[in-house]
Amino acid sequence: MVELWFALLCFMFTMFAVLDGWNFGAGALHLIVARPGVERRQVIAAIGPIWSWHEVWLVAAGATFLLAFPKVMAVCFAGFYLALWLVLWSFILRGVSIEVGGHLDDPMWRSAWDVVFAVSSLLLAVLFGAALGNVIRGVPLDASGAFSMPLFTDFGVRGRVGILDWYTVSVAVLTAALVVAQGASYLAVKTSGAVHQRSQRWARATWIAVLALLPIVSIETWIVRPELVERLVQRPIAWLAIVALAVAAWAIVSGLRRGATVRAFAGSCVVVAGLLTAGAAAAFPVMLYSTLGPEHSLTAYNGSTSSHGLAVALIWWPVAAALALTYFVLILRSFGGPSRARS
Amino acid sequence: MTDELAFWHRLQFAFTITYHYLFPQLTMGVAWFIVFWKWRARRTGDERYAAAARFWSRIFGLTFAVGVVTGIPMEFQFGTNWARFSRYAGGVIGQTLAMEGMFAFLLESAFVGAVIWGESRLGPRKHFYATVGVALGSWLSAYFILVTNAFMQHPVGHGVAADGTLVIAHMRAYLFNEWAFVQFAHNQTAALVTGTFAITAVGAFYTLRGTHVEQARLYLRHGTLVGLIAAIAVAFPTGDAQAKLVARYQEPALAGMEGRFETGPMAEITLIGQPNVKERRLDNPIRLPGMLSFLAYGTFHSDVRGLDAFPADQWPTNIELLYYAFHVMSGLGTIFIGLMALANVQRWRGRLETTPALLWILMLAFPFPFIANTAGWMTAELGRQPWLVYGLFRTRDGYSEVVSAGDVIFTLIGLTGMYFVLGLLYLFLVGREILHGSTAPVTSPYEVDDRTPAPDAKADVKVAHG
Repeated sequence: MVELWFALLCFMFTMFAVLDGWNFGAGALHLIVARPGVERRQVIAAIGPIWSWHEVWLVAAGATFLLAFPKVMAVCFAGFYLALWLVLWSFILRGVSIEVGGHLDDPMWRSAWDVVFAVSSLLLAVLFGAALGNVIRGVPLDASGAFSMPLFTDFGVRGRVGILDWYTVSVAVLTAALVVAQGASYLAVKTSGAVHQRSQRWARATWIAVLALLPIVSIETWIVRPELVERLVQRPIAWLAIVALAVAAWAIVSGLRRGATVRAFAGSCVVVAGLLTAGAAAAFPVMLYSTLGPEHSLTAYNGSTSSHGLAVALIWWPVAAALALTYFVLILRSFGGPSRARS
Repeated sequence: MTDELAFWHRLQFAFTITYHYLFPQLTMGVAWFIVFWKWRARRTGDERYAAAARFWSRIFGLTFAVGVVTGIPMEFQFGTNWARFSRYAGGVIGQTLAMEGMFAFLLESAFVGAVIWGESRLGPRKHFYATVGVALGSWLSAYFILVTNAFMQHPVGHGVAADGTLVIAHMRAYLFNEWAFVQFAHNQTAALVTGTFAITAVGAFYTLRGTHVEQARLYLRHGTLVGLIAAIAVAFPTGDAQAKLVARYQEPALAGMEGRFETGPMAEITLIGQPNVKERRLDNPIRLPGMLSFLAYGTFHSDVRGLDAFPADQWPTNIELLYYAFHVMSGLGTIFIGLMALANVQRWRGRLETTPALLWILMLAFPFPFIANTAGWMTAELGRQPWLVYGLFRTRDGYSEVVSAGDVIFTLIGLTGMYFVLGLLYLFLVGREILHGSTAPVTSPYEVDDRTPAPDAKADVKVAHG
């Protein structure tokens, strides 16, 4: 039961990463790939009428975290206090810029909100990357079972660590590149004309950057948490994820070469999902690793609620998830694609 | 030091939740109006109803957006600021918080864009169902969050794990907590009051200015009619039932709300007076004898226990604020009934639109339901003190100890600034919508159809902004 909820929670965070990943990437890029006016509107139209639906997956994941692993959630969110508030403020700015930017048909008004939108989107990609880096590297959990971290200490990855060090910054850079690459691949699918061509160019450049960074960060991860790489070999789900990553890499490379944008975009979604899955499979059951001593680490087993609570939630959760995907399909069928039969 | 830390955590949560809830109460209050008008428009083919639904969907959209961006921090503050509470009760309240996200938010956020921008693209039938989805989502979300709050007010359905934390034991008892039902009925009718006052205010504004007269007549008619029903229903039966629950399960809270320090029969209801906690008495009171006994327990001679019957460490921590919040809420609620009754009488006589004084009052009355709703929630939450989960877990044991007071003050200041700007933007954009009035169906100003040449898309925008 604990294993299943660990998987469901990872699924929800992955849903958020994939769905909002392309939105963040498209947002970060839209100042560059689209000129003010119709082109920028094309980008925002591509992000679609349901951007908040994508973001709700994060809210739902946060609440599910509380439901299934209350002890880990409490320690984690309080420990990352200021960093999390930076994330929340960026979300506020980003949401506001999408909503109010379109309300006034004035070039200065729009340009100002476009900048807010791009900066907050990029900042979110970087912040989530740093957060991921922190979860992989571990946090200074001590015997009290809590931690509180400064922004940085000596930039080392052992003992009394800070939020930023050489490892978490590397992960943040990789994440930002990956998110931008995914956004560019998405825009290449959804747009036409000049925006499409610029997005294609950006997709090529950023995917090369990702391919260059990925081995470096993998080696860094091996140095920081060697046992993760060892466990990776033992977990069948991780093998599946790695096979999927290889297929996705082929899809991206061939898709970019031949201009098969949908193939490249599908590949990019699989890359995001595959990396997170492989990471989660290797980390299980540790949810919050302690840099001060592995015995202080919080795991899925010592951080979860009662098995009765988990079982009860398993009754309603699939129903809700099925309903949610139904709405998604309904909306995509009405809004996706170029059809506009009724107007 | 710890008291100071607790204070800042409480203040930040109180500020962010109060500000956030200004917006959902309006969206929930107008959501079913939009559904109703869409339904009327489909059945009668009357363009006035379609125009009304369209205009209020635009207001709904702006309000919803601010609700979303101020709502995301609420979810996370359980962990950031109330870590020890989350650790203690997360296994229980996490159920409904996750259900809210999975059932309600995903429903609401999937269809809200379709409601605002999709009228011409979806066609009348699908667009109608999209509005139903949004209305349902927003009310469903309220139910789940009120179950969460009801657990904190009157915990049921839980068990205690070996390490002392709470776990769910009876999901049905938890989900169908009697407190949640009553609170839902009371809170949702109060949200309807906010919605109807806003609709009435816009109607009064247009009538006084002599613009959008057809729309104004519709808003005044439906706003005041539903407004009167909702204003009465907030007091009776829902408010009455809520008070009886407080009397049964939170006796010290009831005593604090009424500023009642001494136990006795024929308990009075206080209309006016100042609680004097130091001297343990109510100064300068005007009271109706026996009414509190009657309202709380059904007979005039029932004993109502005063604060003297409870140890001081079970008293609400801020009796003065609790007392005034309760009296502001019930006082305003009474005024709302009177005002809406008067408006309806004038409307039946056909005089409403020709009584400028009353129209002015109706127009300027729209902020007061927001105040009454806020005061009502202050009553509920201050009355719950000193408990975070009533009778089980104290507020002083719930906040995050690892977060310093400086950190909380820093984020509180940041939030204050950000929410101030957000409020300005919201008022500016809503004011603009109200001045424009209803328009033809709009597509998103951002929306560009790949097949149509760009100038057409621009023309769309021009139409949208008249």
